[in-house]
Amino acid sequence: MDTQKRTPWRRWIVLVLMIAGFILGGIYVPVQPEITVAAEKLLEEPIAENFLGLGPLYLVNTIPTLAVTIVLLLVLAFAANRSLKKSQKTDLVPTGVGNAMEAILEMLYNLTETSAGTKWAKAIFPWFATIMIYVLFANLLKLIPGFESIGVLHHAHGEGHTIAELGGNWANILPEKVEEGGYILAPFFRGISVDLNFTLSLALISFFAIQVIGVRSQGIGYFSKFFNTKRMFKVPFFGAMDFLVGLLEIISEFAKILSFTFRLFGNMFAGVVLVAVVASLLGKISILPSMIFMFELFVGVIQAFVFGMLTMVFMAMATQGHGDEEHADH
Amino acid sequence: MDGNILDAARFVGAGLAMIGAAGAGVGIGLSVQGALTGMARNPDTYGNLLTNMILGVAFSESIAIYCLVIAFLMLFKVV
Repeated sequence: MDTQKRTPWRRWIVLVLMIAGFILGGIYVPVQPEITVAAEKLLEEPIAENFLGLGPLYLVNTIPTLAVTIVLLLVLAFAANRSLKKSQKTDLVPTGVGNAMEAILEMLYNLTETSAGTKWAKAIFPWFATIMIYVLFANLLKLIPGFESIGVLHHAHGEGHTIAELGGNWANILPEKVEEGGYILAPFFRGISVDLNFTLSLALISFFAIQVIGVRSQGIGYFSKFFNTKRMFKVPFFGAMDFLVGLLEIISEFAKILSFTFRLFGNMFAGVVLVAVVASLLGKISILPSMIFMFELFVGVIQAFVFGMLTMVFMAMATQGHGDEEHADH
Repeated sequence: MDGNILDAARFVGAGLAMIGAAGAGVGIGLSVQGALTGMARNPDTYGNLLTNMILGVAFSESIAIYCLVIAFLMLFKVV
């Protein structure tokens, strides 16, 4: 045989890392972190006393993560752009990053076309792809080691943990709890999808984009879905019923914001709690957190897909309107 | 035995709130069952059924998420 047999040494890295986690978990005992719904403050003092007249603005630990995510996305975009430009000079076949992005985007575009139709796919696709890739990065970045485990120590106001000095300004937090004079950890990085502000703003963007697409496709007639007065005078009883159903439609439209927000936040927050509880549950030796991280990978991809997919389907529904009912009248 | 009765009430309430997840579980199971039956009968519709199934699962799941949010609100004393 002239082709040398490929030695798949890379797959052993995973096993080595899992065993390392197993052993290191015995030396540096996992500590159950302070689980808070709001992002932790890195600095006790606000960085702006009265930000835009709304109140004090704190440096919370989702802001560094947001910066990292945006920088990563920019780097990816530039790399894909360069790779595609290079392929234009030769034979139009991209390699590396450009190839991967082209495959992903083509798949997403075909998905959009099958559920939204060719006419509106061009308008809907950017929202879908942007939200999906952004949320995917937000969810997967959370899994990098060091996230939610390295940070600054604050003096606890209530119950806190004892610490062991490691030299320099560094210290290791210990699982023992003390009533007075303890410390709590505020990590430098916290996954941005574990912050309600991120998911809420994304849900609001998606909600308004849905309305804009609806108005663009049907004009002002889009709002007849909510204030349905079409049959009000022809058949008064069913007309009034249609109007009430339209009002219910308004409520379900606003429930979209709530369900978008809490679906992503709830799933990601449940992941954080699960990892924390499982890591500290079994104490010294446990290989379970790495298994939970695999599950988290799966959940992160699925939730990113669901967020983008639901935006896309709601947009497709907004473009279609009530065509069927009008036909039923005749 | 010592402790705060309010803490106990919070934990019990959070546990009771999560009963609602049972309904979402049944819903997800039914939609997956339907999709799988469809796929088994007509394997060509696999992709179409899969995306619609994920949508349906997401809708059912959001009910469970509401329960989870209520449980979190109780557990972490947000309100």
